[in-house]
Amino acid sequence: MPDPIPVTVLTGFLGAGKTTLLNRILSEQHGRRLAVIENEFGEVGVDNQLVISGDEELFEMNNGCICCSVRGDLIRILGRLLKRRDRLDGVLIETTGLANPAPVAQTFFTDDEMRAAYRLDAIVTVVDALHVARHLDDGDESVKQIAFADVILLNKTDLVSPAELRALESRIRGINSVARLLPTRSCDVPLDKVLGVGGFNLDRAAELDPKFLEPEQPFEWAGAYLLPAGIHEIVIGHEEDGEHGGHEGHEHHHHHHHGAEDVLDLAVLPVSLPPGLGGSDPATPGIAAAEVLAARSFSAAEAVVAEGGTVVPGTQLHRLSLRDAHGRFLLGIPAPGHYLVFEDCGEFPLHIQVNGQTLRPAWQRDYHFAHEHNDDVGSVGIRQAGDLDGTRLNDWISSLLRTKGGDIYRMKGVLSVRGSDKRLVFQGVHMLFDAKFDRPWGSESRTNTLVFIGKNLDREALMSAFQGCLAS
Amino acid sequence: MELTKHWAARLEDYAIDLAWSPDGSLLAAASASGPISIFAAGDGAKLHDLPGHEPGTNALAWQACLASAGQDGSVKLWDAGAGQHTATARLGTAWVEQLAWDGPLLAAACGRSLKLLNPDGTVRHSLDDAPKTIAAIAWKPHLGSEAPESLAFAYFGGVRLLDPAALAVTREYPYANGIQALAWSPDGRWLVSGNQDPSVHLWLPARDEELHMSGFEGKVRYLSFDPTGRWLATGGGQDASVWDCSGAGPEGREPAMLAHDAPVCALAFQRSHGVLASASKDGAVHLWSPERSQPMRATIRLPAPAARLAWSGDDRMLAIGTEQGSVFLLRVQ
Repeated sequence: MPDPIPVTVLTGFLGAGKTTLLNRILSEQHGRRLAVIENEFGEVGVDNQLVISGDEELFEMNNGCICCSVRGDLIRILGRLLKRRDRLDGVLIETTGLANPAPVAQTFFTDDEMRAAYRLDAIVTVVDALHVARHLDDGDESVKQIAFADVILLNKTDLVSPAELRALESRIRGINSVARLLPTRSCDVPLDKVLGVGGFNLDRAAELDPKFLEPEQPFEWAGAYLLPAGIHEIVIGHEEDGEHGGHEGHEHHHHHHHGAEDVLDLAVLPVSLPPGLGGSDPATPGIAAAEVLAARSFSAAEAVVAEGGTVVPGTQLHRLSLRDAHGRFLLGIPAPGHYLVFEDCGEFPLHIQVNGQTLRPAWQRDYHFAHEHNDDVGSVGIRQAGDLDGTRLNDWISSLLRTKGGDIYRMKGVLSVRGSDKRLVFQGVHMLFDAKFDRPWGSESRTNTLVFIGKNLDREALMSAFQGCLAS
Repeated sequence: MELTKHWAARLEDYAIDLAWSPDGSLLAAASASGPISIFAAGDGAKLHDLPGHEPGTNALAWQACLASAGQDGSVKLWDAGAGQHTATARLGTAWVEQLAWDGPLLAAACGRSLKLLNPDGTVRHSLDDAPKTIAAIAWKPHLGSEAPESLAFAYFGGVRLLDPAALAVTREYPYANGIQALAWSPDGRWLVSGNQDPSVHLWLPARDEELHMSGFEGKVRYLSFDPTGRWLATGGGQDASVWDCSGAGPEGREPAMLAHDAPVCALAFQRSHGVLASASKDGAVHLWSPERSQPMRATIRLPAPAARLAWSGDDRMLAIGTEQGSVFLLRVQ
């Protein structure tokens, strides 16, 4: 049996740039035998290429349930494409803007012939930076297209401001933390980023944002400052031009504002730091203990602090009232030492000033923030060392798919199962699931990596069920 | 039983279909990439190269004249002896994959639409769209003099029977899955579908009964009845199965399993005798007499898997088209 033919699925709303990307692939890959299955409104304009029009016909296996539907036209066309003397080097499938990607992906799971002959390489979603926010607000389909993606081209970035782009990236990450996100102007990405990426087997587990696999926290950033006793100042917001403190403050931009406008939640906890701790070294036991305390504070009732009010160290959560994203507050420090300042949102630059001098944090860290999504679609990642009990794993996954399969759009993982020296690689779409042992772990450490992307996912429940599968 | 290679020829691409002329003197072979070659059965001389369809030909049928169906959404009609194109019927934008003659009436399916054509390419009747793409069609057999009684066509979700005289759908049989193949028994008693699920379903239209046989390894794509209508050969996995359809039918009966070393990829009973040819993906073609205790009669090994098997009208020749585009004509004695 020859190697399966790779299939790339291009999704995205009308006008996002799918056809631009398709034409680029065809003109730059002209030496390869590619077939394009375009939707009935397709307009691929490259000569001498095999272009076939599909009609997105759905075969509903189970009373119209979309989770059990496959694309009948793809089975027919892909089946016919096997009937040729020369094998194809690849297939590109372009869907209409409103298409749900699930049946396309499911086609490659349920149909034995498709599974044997083809390999779903990646779902590539092209997103129009100018319009996607509206599409995400309006409907399910663009959320699903992002949720299903292995690669997301955030296209037409020249049409939005850097701030809008950052907000958009953050929103997309909130839905799908696993996909490779590539900002582009007119789909001008190197093609090896979209073709042959093996996106569907999580061999790229190492490429995952490590933050994504950490536990979520109710805060987004923490910085440790060495403070003398006394009354200092907390300055929120960009300073006036010319006075800007440069890199000394906390000023990272890659998160949008999650909470209500013009408030910032803050907690300050004393911490003991070992001497010589670097700016971004791993957390010490002291920091970890403070993180646990702060997580509790952020879940408890807040004390509102008006402009000019005072913040004191302790487990009390403070909600600072801002005006136009700016504010000055007092910080009362009873005893000299290190203090950790936790904030829930990194959009606002935060500076601590002692006698008018902006301090630089001795240590700081960004956290995987527990987004309160506007989009109820999100990702949950789990990474844990250890071996799993095969039977318990099987029982868990079966019952999970039975009860939550409709909400789980995609899942993938590389698992370590007791009794096997090989990695168990699995992937799923809705209720469909495929797992196989691939290569031996060898010298690699036996670590389980799982990713779920879907609707209303319960991180705690997934985590504890997963841990219940660990072999004792 | 003796098999001898009579001649061999090459096509441009995968042999997507074969069709014998009604008098057995010519063999048409369609290449998946489009061209159709007309060979003299007697010596294998290539008489004509017809252009076929762009970008690919899907099916052939030869009765009143040679008809071909393609990915261009059209049916073309040919005077094969003269190598002349005579007419084109443009049916739509979807592929035309199903084509079947009954006398001077040609049924063709283009996407969800079923058309009845005249030999001059004019459309005699266009049926309302089926719920899904039509995946198989089959004329109900009848005695030569009678007018056709019924055409069955299948789609994901069911099978309908069309009365071609009244131009009305007379029956609808729901089936909640994909259908890959349809066949009538030569006595018109059974209508059989090979299904995606994978199973075989049988209808007895006269008695409004249905039978079901499941447990196949893969989609059941290949169906063939012997000329008596008693034996039904099915292919949906490694072995070919032969079912006894006499009496109450095959449900619950054990089929005869005709063993292959690779998945079956073509099946054809002789037209008026009882030999079954079955081909598998390893390039083997076996000939069987299913009612014998030692059913295997002969084996041929081809350099590439057979894509099509076609018996000549007198059952003396077996034409084989392969995935690599070879055409072999074998004489059977």
